[in-house]
Amino acid sequence: MTETGLTWPKNVNEIPKAAFTRKDIYAEEMKRIFFGQEWHPVAHESELPNPGDFKTFRLAGVPLLIARDMEGVVRVFYNACSHRGNQLETAVMGNKTEFECPYHRWLFDAKGDLVGCPNHRDFLPGFDKSDYPLAQPRFDSFFGLFFVTLSAETEPLPEFLGGSQNTLRELLGGDGRLKLLGYQKVRYDSNWKSYTDNDGYHAPLLHQAFKLLNWQGGKGRQFTSTKHGHICFESALSVVSGPTVLKDDSLIAFKGQDPAVGSRIVSLFPTFVSTKHLDVINLRFATPIDEETVEVHYAYFAHQDDDEDMVRHRLRQSSNLLGPCGLISMEDASIFHRIHIGNHTPGNAIFQKGVHDQSKLEAEFLQNDESGNLPRWEYYRSVMGFERAEA
Amino acid sequence: MMQTDNALEAAMDALLLADASALDGKDMKGWLANYSEEDESSYICRSAENSENGLALGFMYDDCRSRLEDRVTFVNDIWAGTFQDYRTRHFVQRVEYRRVDAATISMRSNFSVFMTPTDSGITQVLAAGQYLDTIRLEKTGALKLLSRRAELDTSVLPRYLVYPL
Repeated sequence: MTETGLTWPKNVNEIPKAAFTRKDIYAEEMKRIFFGQEWHPVAHESELPNPGDFKTFRLAGVPLLIARDMEGVVRVFYNACSHRGNQLETAVMGNKTEFECPYHRWLFDAKGDLVGCPNHRDFLPGFDKSDYPLAQPRFDSFFGLFFVTLSAETEPLPEFLGGSQNTLRELLGGDGRLKLLGYQKVRYDSNWKSYTDNDGYHAPLLHQAFKLLNWQGGKGRQFTSTKHGHICFESALSVVSGPTVLKDDSLIAFKGQDPAVGSRIVSLFPTFVSTKHLDVINLRFATPIDEETVEVHYAYFAHQDDDEDMVRHRLRQSSNLLGPCGLISMEDASIFHRIHIGNHTPGNAIFQKGVHDQSKLEAEFLQNDESGNLPRWEYYRSVMGFERAEA
Repeated sequence: MMQTDNALEAAMDALLLADASALDGKDMKGWLANYSEEDESSYICRSAENSENGLALGFMYDDCRSRLEDRVTFVNDIWAGTFQDYRTRHFVQRVEYRRVDAATISMRSNFSVFMTPTDSGITQVLAAGQYLDTIRLEKTGALKLLSRRAELDTSVLPRYLVYPL
């Protein structure tokens, strides 16, 4: 994109810091990425388990209404009346069989059909309610995880997910039969790319907790899937065995069945990071607010087959471990902020760990390599149309 | 042990202020000292949005004395040096209370917390909400928190939390 005047470095491990801070680039990202050919997770169906349940969410500013009808079918609508475009539902979640717009009392059922509008004899000749359902973006689902795309050209969801499907399925409890435990919602003073660059990837040196808890990372692999540069981490768990500084070590206990599927991270372009770690199942619905701010809704889940003790264990672990105040993640949140401040300096951010050749992208990485983010950066560069420097 | 309402109210307010003072002073041991030594003493910080929708998950979920003690370890030892520090000012106001039995009172208070990050120096509201407390009248005459739920009106925090609210 020549008009932005950003030249991309020749080396694949260098990212221009200006990409994180410039308003004109952010505006272009909205067009090319958020309204472009990407799928964005917006809800898991277990967030609306009962007929009539709904959730609202704003994706890159676009208001969405995700609703389960009385037959149990989940659909995604634009959360705007089909008449004058008034925001239809103001609650973040709830249960309704019908949605009424207060402006002119247009009434929609949970299938999105317009079922009532007063005084329609005054409307255009030939007015027919069936011509005015709630508008819908394209959507599809994967083991109950609902994705939206705002472009008609986006590839089908299975192709978009590609080789990340199995890791994502395992992360979703193996079958997607989840039970919502609740949310932690937060805004970070960080460009959305600094958030996604640093949320999945974890620098073990950062985490003092690992040392104090006598906790070593389990063996695992990191790999990239599809041209979008989705990143998957699959690690076995190494559960803390020695002494810990915690008086209540249930916070870091693993009560699940199989340590081989103990830890999973799937980071989908552009903003979605999801993780299963110990007994925490966490989907992070993130959306950019502006070039300096990202909002993240951490949604936590149990599995439908859990007994009461397991649900309670997951609840206690989920609340305190991995969120914006979590024992082993609060420092990540701080890094999002500090990286973003640092990105207001000239030059490039340089990736080192795991980079073998500055002219070549790889697809398989070691667990703690930073280089796993580079295929995603190459995809970003190509979608944004930034030319690589020749020298 | 019966106290007059005035003396009891003064003692409850002193407990509220002692907690605010400990938190604003980043005195985690002082914070812990406001809680009862009983095993089931607890601090839970959760959005009203979660509570009203039957979702028990919190921002912090310290549902026993051991976890309260671990919270002190998080802040004082595990997280030391890893975050951008910020000052807080808690404003608290008792709204209502009820004697549950001879040794227990339930109390509801409003709170708002201002935050000033040390790097930016810009003050903003960190959170507003209410404290739903159960207070223990101990044999010594002291009042301690048996349980506190910080129920946040703020469902989307403007920042990560280091200290309890």
